Amino acid sequence: MDQRAILDHQFTVAAYAVTWAIQLGYLVCLGLKWRAQKREAARPVRSPR
Amino acid sequence: MKKLAIGLYAALTAALMAWGFYQAIYVAPDEQTMHEVQRIFYYHVPSAMTAFLFFAISLAGSIGFLALRRNHPVRALAADAWAVSGAEVGVVFCTVVLITGPLWGRRAWGIWWTWDARLTTTLVLWLLYVSYLLLRRFAAGPQMQTLAAVLGVFAALDVPIVYMSTRWWRTQHPAPVFGGGPDSGIKDPAMLHAFGWNIAAWLAWGLLILALRYRIERQHQQLIARQAQAALDEI
Repeated sequence: MDQRAILDHQFTVAAYAVTWAIQLGYLVCLGLKWRAQKREAARPVRSPR
Repeated sequence: MKKLAIGLYAALTAALMAWGFYQAIYVAPDEQTMHEVQRIFYYHVPSAMTAFLFFAISLAGSIGFLALRRNHPVRALAADAWAVSGAEVGVVFCTVVLITGPLWGRRAWGIWWTWDARLTTTLVLWLLYVSYLLLRRFAAGPQMQTLAAVLGVFAALDVPIVYMSTRWWRTQHPAPVFGGGPDSGIKDPAMLHAFGWNIAAWLAWGLLILALRYRIERQHQQLIARQAQAALDEI
């Protein structure tokens, strides 16, 4: 493979990896938020004051 | 039954994602001038389309909230949940667009970024929706949702400008895949299939996380309502 093809490959891999990292990272954030909210909802209700 | 349906949908989405990836990397041929780096297009364009769809959902939610907030407060809250969910998931997809685009541009144009109309309006769109989310995160008080809905409506005005930017101004960005003139579009059927599968896959994925985000927002609203009721009971 010439230098240009290697760089093309690296940039393509980077684009795919970044896309997956962002999407899966966001999914994990949502999962953590969901879990924290479930715990909060299970606790006895207190006023926010 | 509901859990089974969600599980089946998630499995179908995972299968679509895997199939879309396989089509984009192993089946679609190399483009003649851009070679391998053109494969970024199979993630970049479907992400942009999905972001536009979710910003449209956010717009509908914002308009719904403004229209219903006085006479139907319960339905207005559901509309508000759609507005914030659409905006947040749309920002995630728009972030993907703004990162994968420069990665492609660096190889195709030799530069990471240029203040071209398409790129600039997309960055403005991203900034508008980030400011919408920041407003919702840090503003307090009963007017917050109304202010956010108004900002949501104005932010959505940038979506058609982004879409039309390559027609209205002379830009470096490639012509749209569909309806971009005689030279636009995908000629190779294998490329078209890869593109189609990835649109379906990212749309399915986006809808899955949109539904999850909506559910979290509704739960949050219920929690706030319970706390408010508890505060009233203490008086």
